[in-house]
Amino acid sequence: MRFDPDFALSVIPTILSGLGTTLWITVAASLGAAVLGFTLEILRRSNRWLGYVMRFVIDAIRSTPVLVQLYFIYFVLPVYGLTLPAAASGVLGLAVYYSGYLAEVFKGGIDSIDAGQFEAGKALGLRRRDVILSVILPQMLRNVAAPMGNYFVSALKATPYLAVIAVPEMLGLAMEVGANSFRYAEPMVSVGAIFLILALGINVLVRKLEQRLQVAHQR
Amino acid sequence: MNDVSNFPAVRISGLQKWYGSFQVLHDVDLTVQANERIVICGPSGSGKSTLIRCVNQLETHQRGTIEVNGRQMGKSTPNMHMLRRDIGMVFQHFNLFPHLTVLENCTLALRKARGMSLAQARDVARHYLERVRIPEQQDKYPGQLSGGQQQRVAIARALCMNPKVMLFDEPTSALDPEMIKEVLDVMTDLAREGMTMICVTHEMNFARTVADRVVFMDAGRIVEQADPQTFFSAPSHPRARQFLSQLL
Repeated sequence: MRFDPDFALSVIPTILSGLGTTLWITVAASLGAAVLGFTLEILRRSNRWLGYVMRFVIDAIRSTPVLVQLYFIYFVLPVYGLTLPAAASGVLGLAVYYSGYLAEVFKGGIDSIDAGQFEAGKALGLRRRDVILSVILPQMLRNVAAPMGNYFVSALKATPYLAVIAVPEMLGLAMEVGANSFRYAEPMVSVGAIFLILALGINVLVRKLEQRLQVAHQR
Repeated sequence: MNDVSNFPAVRISGLQKWYGSFQVLHDVDLTVQANERIVICGPSGSGKSTLIRCVNQLETHQRGTIEVNGRQMGKSTPNMHMLRRDIGMVFQHFNLFPHLTVLENCTLALRKARGMSLAQARDVARHYLERVRIPEQQDKYPGQLSGGQQQRVAIARALCMNPKVMLFDEPTSALDPEMIKEVLDVMTDLAREGMTMICVTHEMNFARTVADRVVFMDAGRIVEQADPQTFFSAPSHPRARQFLSQLL
């Protein structure tokens, strides 16, 4: 069976019908991962014992396969009475998984902020919360824009995992085309090309953002 | 009523501090009255900076007491952030917020800690930027200013909170010589207006002309306290004599 370019093109609309799902799941999971990762890292710094606990949580998240985490949320939590729709499970799973990595990225981003910044905020009488949100967070984001963007791209590329819990994202649709037509080469090439274009697009955006941050906040 | 003027601005007694097993402050006693200007000097490593950083509890102490305006400052003090609002601090390396403009640096704490509206906070900030003679730079970022300008902004930022005491931690030590004067001029103005000031500095001319009292520290102890005239002409402690002779 030879590769049929016409068939490859013809399946693109079918696959793209999952684009919206892929994109919103990526965005929601990325935001969730950023918020959760930042929270984990801030709690890790807050006091010694909570620090140890959070260190373990972050390491545990990074040390278990994303598929195990997804299955856990989708198949195990319902046993204990928490049943989430497939898409919500997928968002939660990816958010948790990437929060572990982003917490590490944020750790580096915060460590590289001069200690004098914390002190100046404290000396002005700001609450800890305000020092974190108004002084530390914006400077951290500037420091971590590039590695954080990489993990967002990584989250995009991890959305096909959600095919295993029946979320109608693009890989799932491509597999369906394959199963119905007994041709897998064309839908796989098409779905791969779509992911490639999306990921390259995000990379460009991240690089633009990084440059703008550097210009705006020159030291 | 809890009238602040009944208390000394700062009262430190029996202060002891260790870094691990190394004792940096030995039994320090120091009382600073409202409207008094104190200059703390001494060789590096003598504990001057540590002492004033204990006043607003950027450093915690292990023994002794610190009171600011009659309020105890310590590790277990609740709402420390509220007490710090009345204590301004100026750092050696300015510590301006690089992601905020000059004006935003000054308005941040007014908005978050004093709960002012943006318009109100801007008015206050512009007033103090004018007093440190830098109103035209308000929309620039700290990185676009010279060291002297940055330090003057840092002073304005602290003054915005209308503090009862100002702490200066070697405010001119990181500056090029030609910028030292502009910062000292602002500090001198402030002293003339009656601000209570505790300054750690090596600027002996500033001490001579502005200070009510010079405190000399060595190896974690206050070894001499005197008015500047006495201190500079006839220091009684041999360590102070040696220190002054090296400066001249």
